[in-house]
Amino acid sequence: MGAHDLSIFSLASLLIFLVPILYISRYLKLGINRTILVGMARMCLQLSFVGLYLEFLFKFDSPWLNGAYLLLMISIACHSILKSSNLKVRIFFKPLFFSLLIPFSVILLFFNAVVVHIDNLFEAKYLVPIGGMLLGNCLRSIIIGLTNFYSGLKKNEREYLYSLALFNNQTQALKPWFKESLTAAINPTLASMATIGLVSLPGMMTGQILGGSIPLVAIKYQIAIMGCIFYTEYFSVILSILFSLKTGFNAFDVLKPDIFQNTQN
Amino acid sequence: MILFESVSHDIGSTRIFSDLTLCVNKNEKVLILGKSGLGKTSLFRLILGFEQPKSGQIRVNGLQLNQIHIHQIRRQIFYLSQDIDLKNDIILRLLTEVWEFNFSQPLPREMVDKQLNFLELSPAILQKRTKDLSGGERQRTGLLIGFLLDRPIWLLDEPTSALDDTMKKKIADHILSSDKTCIIISHDRRWQDNPTVRIERWS
Repeated sequence: MGAHDLSIFSLASLLIFLVPILYISRYLKLGINRTILVGMARMCLQLSFVGLYLEFLFKFDSPWLNGAYLLLMISIACHSILKSSNLKVRIFFKPLFFSLLIPFSVILLFFNAVVVHIDNLFEAKYLVPIGGMLLGNCLRSIIIGLTNFYSGLKKNEREYLYSLALFNNQTQALKPWFKESLTAAINPTLASMATIGLVSLPGMMTGQILGGSIPLVAIKYQIAIMGCIFYTEYFSVILSILFSLKTGFNAFDVLKPDIFQNTQN
Repeated sequence: MILFESVSHDIGSTRIFSDLTLCVNKNEKVLILGKSGLGKTSLFRLILGFEQPKSGQIRVNGLQLNQIHIHQIRRQIFYLSQDIDLKNDIILRLLTEVWEFNFSQPLPREMVDKQLNFLELSPAILQKRTKDLSGGERQRTGLLIGFLLDRPIWLLDEPTSALDDTMKKKIADHILSSDKTCIIISHDRRWQDNPTVRIERWS
């Protein structure tokens, strides 16, 4: 069982379709050909490295190494989130790291221990790919959440300060922005949960079926993982906002002026 | 009640004012007059802890303005900003939220109706959203919140600019005869004409 191996040549044959794309983009003067090429190259390179690295991880399968790998993934995710949200790494890295780590490890370990019943909770085969899926999805929703929260606040700062004067309580004054950011962050996942199976077959399921699992098993995993993605997202978005308050605001509950990476926005 | 001791304040690299000394006693009404750009609004923002002075000391009701006392200080202050930056919501819901959060009990409707009546606002306004109010309605809604909260210190930034003349006089007289400690920024003559007011000219 298992999927056919792909030869390098057959994989490369897929590049044929890139030719008309590059041609059309150039014809329409979209100015994105460079970005397309860099993106494709990075994807190939990064995934090849991960492939090699996973082989290595799976061979050793040491809980410490697997755990360290997850911590590294979380750190990279934090960097990438802050860069996309235009927030300063120096100010927000630590709170963000913990707001990812806590829900992520609780749900991941629960998944491994209670749902799948594997003996070694840190078994690379489960920990790394499932962890990667959870993180990848959280990434998107935390970016939406944090961007909405801080840029919304910056834009309506006087409204926030006025509420602060009326309520004399930061949490109460922040409520509208908190609610708005949380719903904006989880909406894409809610929408995809509502259409999954009707429109798209998720990548994990496709992978499992190609890998030789019977569809019913693949479906069960998919249901479990969708739930886990949603839970992790929900909690990590909430925590990322809550934990960031301490470093994002000064002792007078006023938004610090220098939290954005790029001050033009 | 409010004391500025040689306060200097910068925003970025711009000096807003330097070595400002100001004392407002309990129940006193102080009107600050001066061209725009002299940092009158910054004065309020400093008292509320929205901005921090470069040097000097600010005291409110004996408490030094710092991060330990800021909540005790804000609890005593009602601030009416120039644009009355209320969040966009249905007015009744806004009033209820502000009241319930501050006093942990249900909003007393008869009190709201009484103040609406005084401010010559129709009760229908309670169903409107903040963004749909006219300038004058907005100002009076802001004042309505102030009357309901009944805090001892009032900081009013152009509180009557969008009101007609009779309303200006009615509100100025009412506030100036109250037992509040007030600092008022206003270009309206109605405030200057009242003898209880102490005028501070900034230039």
